[in-house]
Amino acid sequence: MKKYKEIARIYIKSQLAWRADVLFNMLFTVAKILFAWLLWGMIFRERNMVAGFTFHGMLSYYIVSSFLSQLEMARGISGEVSARIRNGTFSNYMVMPVSIEWYFAAMEVGVVLFYLSFDLLAAAVWVFVFRIRFVFGRSPEILLCAAVMAVMGLFFMVQLNYFLGILTLKFEDIGTFLMIKDNLVSLVTGTIVPLVLFPESVVRVMRLLPFYYVTYLPSMLFTGRCGEEAVRGLAVLGTWCILMQGMIAVTWRKYRKKYDGVGI
Amino acid sequence: MNIIETKNLSKTYRRVVKQEGLGGSIKSLFKREYEEKKAVEGMDFAVREGEFAGLIGPNGAGKTTLIKMLTGIIGPTSGEIEVMGYYPNDLKNEFKRQYAIVMGQKSQLFFELTANDTLRLFKEIYGLEEREFREARAYFTELFGVEKLLDVQVRTLSLGERMKMELMAALLHNPRILFLDEPTIGLDAVASRQIRRFLREINRERGTTILLTSHYMEDIRSLCGRSVVINHGHKIYDGGTEELFEKYQRDRQVTLSFDRAVERLELPGNAVMTEETPYRKVIRIPREESGMLLQKMMKYAPRDVVVEEEEIGRVVERIYGEECGRKLWRDEGHEKI
Repeated sequence: MKKYKEIARIYIKSQLAWRADVLFNMLFTVAKILFAWLLWGMIFRERNMVAGFTFHGMLSYYIVSSFLSQLEMARGISGEVSARIRNGTFSNYMVMPVSIEWYFAAMEVGVVLFYLSFDLLAAAVWVFVFRIRFVFGRSPEILLCAAVMAVMGLFFMVQLNYFLGILTLKFEDIGTFLMIKDNLVSLVTGTIVPLVLFPESVVRVMRLLPFYYVTYLPSMLFTGRCGEEAVRGLAVLGTWCILMQGMIAVTWRKYRKKYDGVGI
Repeated sequence: MNIIETKNLSKTYRRVVKQEGLGGSIKSLFKREYEEKKAVEGMDFAVREGEFAGLIGPNGAGKTTLIKMLTGIIGPTSGEIEVMGYYPNDLKNEFKRQYAIVMGQKSQLFFELTANDTLRLFKEIYGLEEREFREARAYFTELFGVEKLLDVQVRTLSLGERMKMELMAALLHNPRILFLDEPTIGLDAVASRQIRRFLREINRERGTTILLTSHYMEDIRSLCGRSVVINHGHKIYDGGTEELFEKYQRDRQVTLSFDRAVERLELPGNAVMTEETPYRKVIRIPREESGMLLQKMMKYAPRDVVVEEEEIGRVVERIYGEECGRKLWRDEGHEKI
């Protein structure tokens, strides 16, 4: 376990090497909160409730969900794995006495921890400056479920992106798979079309997919909503994590032999 | 005791071939055509523990493919392979803990961090105790003379300094085998000489088995007691390095530079002019006649004279030609040459 801790640590150090990135990331977080405060402030000027949210409830949801989606950075893994398989530098990971998947998971932890600390700091300052009364769920069990779900969701995205990355062994180019994944994520999380516009049967199907539980449901749980979905959410997401792990193992075993380590 | 052993080892790559032009690309979209390339074929090869062996061959000979199979990066198509008692392509962590590989063109270092940061990472990856780590780091820091470079961002180091750090990171866990794929590629003469000195010391002091591939004759000649020459995936020579050079390196390349234009040189019978300008002449000559050539050339008062060994490709071609001739002889039913 110590080696994966050190891998996470070295990626934190890598992030810290670029001071401008640190500064701009903090500014970006601040700008998002400022924008949300102005936007929702205008909307709530004429009414007290929007879709069951108060002004502070809406801002709380917005801060938590944008915070979680900002932490979901695993898409870089598929690109990195794919590029390294194609240019032959994937060999560097194969000769190390580590699990390659766990190496990438540790790398993700390092990157996430780095952004987590700075984003949290920026968010806390702005919550204080704008006097946002943060609306949190009251049930400790539900909050615990939300925290576990958020971590599991991030882990699932690592698994999914690693899986897509190693598909390069078979397909050489995984651009189409990444596009399908991105569109599916946008659809299921309601970014393209709000979920309320879909028929209930479609939404029920979407709830069987893991993406619903990556940022959307944990954000709702943290802000005290959808508590009845918490346990089911953990079960669905947990099942997907196990399934994905199996798919990774099978794909790696089957296609590893296709790796020729040529490129550079 | 053999630490590396292969029997009848082969590796065949399958690669896409496509006709030129847009038409070829469209056709390839619907019907992909492949060709097979035998990178290594029927290789019988063994290395003893503590040996410093060299793999020589021109580009595409199969050296890197062999190293990749020995380290488990790729699996063989057929044949047997055993490294330290393991089948490398199983990629077992106990196996990977016992060797190191340095590829001249694939860095293991984190460029935006310091070498010390990467060394710390390797300490954990290879499960070294703090005391062990400090001792190994101190040993290599002194050997490589890099005390002042450990806390400098890697991307600001020179190529030679970076290679020292690569070696340090690779050797930190005291591997039983060190695979080196073109470690001196792109390095200047001074840095190459330093790297060679370190490798010799590591092999002697720590008993590390080293398998080195290089294009540079000097690397092989000064380091490896034994050489294996590969061409087109076949082993064409396996024996002492000195014998190899004695037997097959027949020519020298002499480069003469002049301050004034020299239009014509009178060359001895076996000398061949390979490049010629009024101010510079490059001559190839059998090595036993190189002394005589130099004596004769002194009358033209050259400003500078460089005598070089024959390039590796020509030596390999010569060995290959002779070995093919012998094989043909044997195939025709003759017992001895």
